[in-house]
Amino acid sequence: MENAVTAERLHKKFGEVVAVREVSFKIRRGELYALLGPNGAGKTTTLKMLSTLLKPTSGDAYVMGYSVLREAEKVRRVIGVVPQELTADDELTGYQNVYLQARLYGYSDAEARERTRKALETVGLTESASRRASTYSGGMRRKLEIAMSLVHDPPVIFLDEPTLGLDVQSRRAMWELIRQFKKEGRSMILTTHYMEEAEALADRVGIIDHGMLKAEGSPEELKGMLKWDKVYVELYRDEDADALAKEMRLAGLEARVDSSQVVVSMQGEEVLRKVIGLLNGRRVKSINIVKPNLEEVFLEITGRRLREESFDAFKQRVFMRKVR
Amino acid sequence: MEETYVLWYREMRKWLGRKPVVIISLFSPIFWILLFGKSFNPLNIVPEGVGELGELVRAKIIELFGTQDYFTYVAAGMTVAFALFQASFAGASALFDRRLGYMDRLLVTPVKRESIFAAKVLASVTRVVLLTSLLVAVSYLAGLQLKADFTLLDLLLALLTVAFISLMFSSIFMLAGFVMDNPEGLFAIGNLVNTPLLFASSVLFPTDQMPFWLRFIAELNPLSYGADLVRHFLVAKPMEDPYIVLLLFGVVSVAVFATSAKVAVKLMEK
Repeated sequence: MENAVTAERLHKKFGEVVAVREVSFKIRRGELYALLGPNGAGKTTTLKMLSTLLKPTSGDAYVMGYSVLREAEKVRRVIGVVPQELTADDELTGYQNVYLQARLYGYSDAEARERTRKALETVGLTESASRRASTYSGGMRRKLEIAMSLVHDPPVIFLDEPTLGLDVQSRRAMWELIRQFKKEGRSMILTTHYMEEAEALADRVGIIDHGMLKAEGSPEELKGMLKWDKVYVELYRDEDADALAKEMRLAGLEARVDSSQVVVSMQGEEVLRKVIGLLNGRRVKSINIVKPNLEEVFLEITGRRLREESFDAFKQRVFMRKVR
Repeated sequence: MEETYVLWYREMRKWLGRKPVVIISLFSPIFWILLFGKSFNPLNIVPEGVGELGELVRAKIIELFGTQDYFTYVAAGMTVAFALFQASFAGASALFDRRLGYMDRLLVTPVKRESIFAAKVLASVTRVVLLTSLLVAVSYLAGLQLKADFTLLDLLLALLTVAFISLMFSSIFMLAGFVMDNPEGLFAIGNLVNTPLLFASSVLFPTDQMPFWLRFIAELNPLSYGADLVRHFLVAKPMEDPYIVLLLFGVVSVAVFATSAKVAVKLMEK
């Protein structure tokens, strides 16, 4: 039992729609694995199956050796789930929220108090513990979610878009926390559609799109799939992009058009000089040279970009909280 | 048991954190009994000073209602209608916990699914029993005539009756809260059920005075049995085999609860 998580051909259908298609992967003990993909790719559904919230249509997964299908209750004892939603109870204080959670894991009053104190200290909410959760800022709420999820000291943690909608400062703080959990030897899966996040935190990344795991490896390995830097040329007249790309291909360059920008692969020498030579007379808005990054890898593998939504969904959730 | 208690505690804590709501929820039944009980009192139609006619009407009231006055009849009966009204809001807590993600948080803990359902229903029952005690106290101050040999045991038996009514209906509405996704629909169902059940029962008027078709429905209505039991315990309205009825009532309520719990657990295992 050396793996923290083993997913074996996990498959989930909602009616006719296949949300997750025969996904298999392994997460070693102490490893941080990031599922990277756009919204609706099947990240959350995968996480819900691993955390026993959804039953797979077929396939199975093992968390610390326990089957999510047959030993759900044992799985629940070893996992901590930090959901995408802000689930803490508005009407209770931060302390009460965490304390109740501890009691639900069967700890006695005294032990639950001690664990609550520790968990709140870990995330840095000790001073706001006696305030109602409804008075917390977005960043504090996220921290409270983490405290609630970790009060039973689980060896495996699932984080579903942990920094969605957070400002830069809160995001950094969250990354620090995640790194600390890693130092403590916990195994983690994190879903995200921020490639910087996957790059900064993950030991290995699984790229998921349309419910399928398209590629897997360390960020370096994945970036190694793209050997060359790329030049992005943006013209003032979008219509000229196709003509420019054609000329470049005639000159022996590997060029294509992506959302009205000409993208040239920097393979071989003299590419940049050739590109500039071909620009003669055209009005150029910008030229960018991009090193291989996960965004580029994602584009290469799926033909799509990652960035899409981000803030709207979060706002909607905050609004939902207020409806109560 | 432990986890059921912890979840029950959460519900109660939230409820007690909303004290204005606790008070406001008593307004409606109090208005009902004051308006109906006092203004629909048949004695009102007798001009003052007509002693003989007054005595006649009074005798007729005792014959029809089995209580000293109409207010006492309605006030005792309203306890079970109040239990129904309160139960019809019970499902909201499940619905909102599901929508806001708290339910998913519970479902990834090792807590038994039965406990989640049971804690919510039991919290609803607890609230109703506490509120009904207050309602009986207010009714007493407003003129409810308790029976001559009234003891604390009678009050407890009346509250037990209310608890059974609450268990039965809270279970059903809680289940609705696990099925439905929009609060409007949930409250619409509550309204749909509440008013007909109230009128087709012995809460406001004795069933013997109803047209036969309504009487048929009213005599199947659990509210009628509940109202009769409470009246028997509080104001000594005569009734056949009250303890057997109470026992059957308990059995049926627990059966409804157990069945609802089973279905709710199925719904939680997606």
